[in-house]
Amino acid sequence: MIKYLIVCRSLTCAQRAARILERAGISVQLFRSPRVLSEEGCSYSIRLSEDRLSDALMRLKRAGLSPVRIYVMSDDGSYREVPQ
Amino acid sequence: MTYLDNAATSLQKPAAVGKAALYAVNHLASPGRGGYEAAMAAAETVLRCREEAADLFSVPDPEHVVFTCNATHALNIAVKSLVRPGDRVVISGYEHNAVLRPLHAVGNVKILVAASEPFEPESTFHAFESRITNDTAAVICNHMSNVFGYILPVERIAALCRERGVPFVLDASQSAGALDVNMSALKAAFIAMPGHKGLYGPQGTGILLCGDSPVKTFMEGGTGSMSAKAEMPDFLPDRLEAGTHNLPGIAGLLEGIQFVKRRGTDRILCHEKELVGRAAEALESLPGLRVYKAPHLFCQGGVLSFRFYDRDCETVGSELSDRGIAVRAGLHCAPLAHRSAGTAECGTVRMSVSAFSTKRDIDELIKAAEDLLKKKINK
Repeated sequence: MIKYLIVCRSLTCAQRAARILERAGISVQLFRSPRVLSEEGCSYSIRLSEDRLSDALMRLKRAGLSPVRIYVMSDDGSYREVPQ
Repeated sequence: MTYLDNAATSLQKPAAVGKAALYAVNHLASPGRGGYEAAMAAAETVLRCREEAADLFSVPDPEHVVFTCNATHALNIAVKSLVRPGDRVVISGYEHNAVLRPLHAVGNVKILVAASEPFEPESTFHAFESRITNDTAAVICNHMSNVFGYILPVERIAALCRERGVPFVLDASQSAGALDVNMSALKAAFIAMPGHKGLYGPQGTGILLCGDSPVKTFMEGGTGSMSAKAEMPDFLPDRLEAGTHNLPGIAGLLEGIQFVKRRGTDRILCHEKELVGRAAEALESLPGLRVYKAPHLFCQGGVLSFRFYDRDCETVGSELSDRGIAVRAGLHCAPLAHRSAGTAECGTVRMSVSAFSTKRDIDELIKAAEDLLKKKINK
């Protein structure tokens, strides 16, 4: 299954995003962003499956929680940025 | 001991507060510093506390709830974010040194005091009205005096500030947990409060509710975010929360806030007013005492000041302490409030109650005060 990664600006922001999505029935995992993706230094991300991405982004936008960046995870473990 | 110094810190807390603090000491790590279970559990506790505080104080965005060491720390951030040397600031006549000293430290600030007698809300409002102008850098107002329990008309003062485009700062040190403190309604630039008084959290906790005004960092350091940059993050709460959080304090504060929400601020205020009324009535019936109380307690919370006409307030405080009664005497770190009420020379003895105070506590105080008077007569 294709997974997407939403990089958030802070832990609080990532926690809130995860909470909002879980309440909406969207399963996510909250974890520290891979170093290669956190250009500005430490950050937290949420991971979710492709089929829930558009719903998730709409809900986050409504809550005023804009992602810093979005990535798609490849099978080989690499990441590719997705334009927002 | 009969504890009646809740305006300094609430000593009796819900049992869950201590348990949560102890659990945090043993099980919670640093939020934002790792992805392992103990760090994420700590992060969850911190977020829950932010969310509960945001809900209690009607803050639209929990990220605008910032944890501080105490209300003084929170007020320092507010003052130093808004006020520059040469600015003009209007404050109430009931401000604590937690406001006066940061203003003094900024330097060359013209401080206009909206002075009024205690328990005169109309007069207080008009004092603000005549001093706030378009070039006022900030208005800082105590919600409830820590000396007299006087509840200032902050809703009207905040509305006046909005009308005149002046940032409004509320010191909710004595009111948080007992009065309605509503960020959305007041549209304040900042609201500062301790966690260890009416919110029943541990000492070393405080909260700063932030509006939309720019915030100046009070200290800089690690935040667990944007760590490749030399500058502090420009977003809340990280901008104002450098260094490791006081997790035991925040875990305890979460339980304290939940207690306040379960019991209800209206019920807590009603209980405190009843006790203050009981104390005021009994103390007023004793000879040689002056009691500072609002008519029918309409603008007074859970704090009551009194003094013996011919006895030093510190001596009275000490003699009450000898009889097992904990009160606070002197100027209460609020010399301005005493100047406003005409008690700067003599000071007062202050009793202050909480949700856990009882009628029996008040009766013990009265018994001790009567005992002091008898002792004086026997001398």
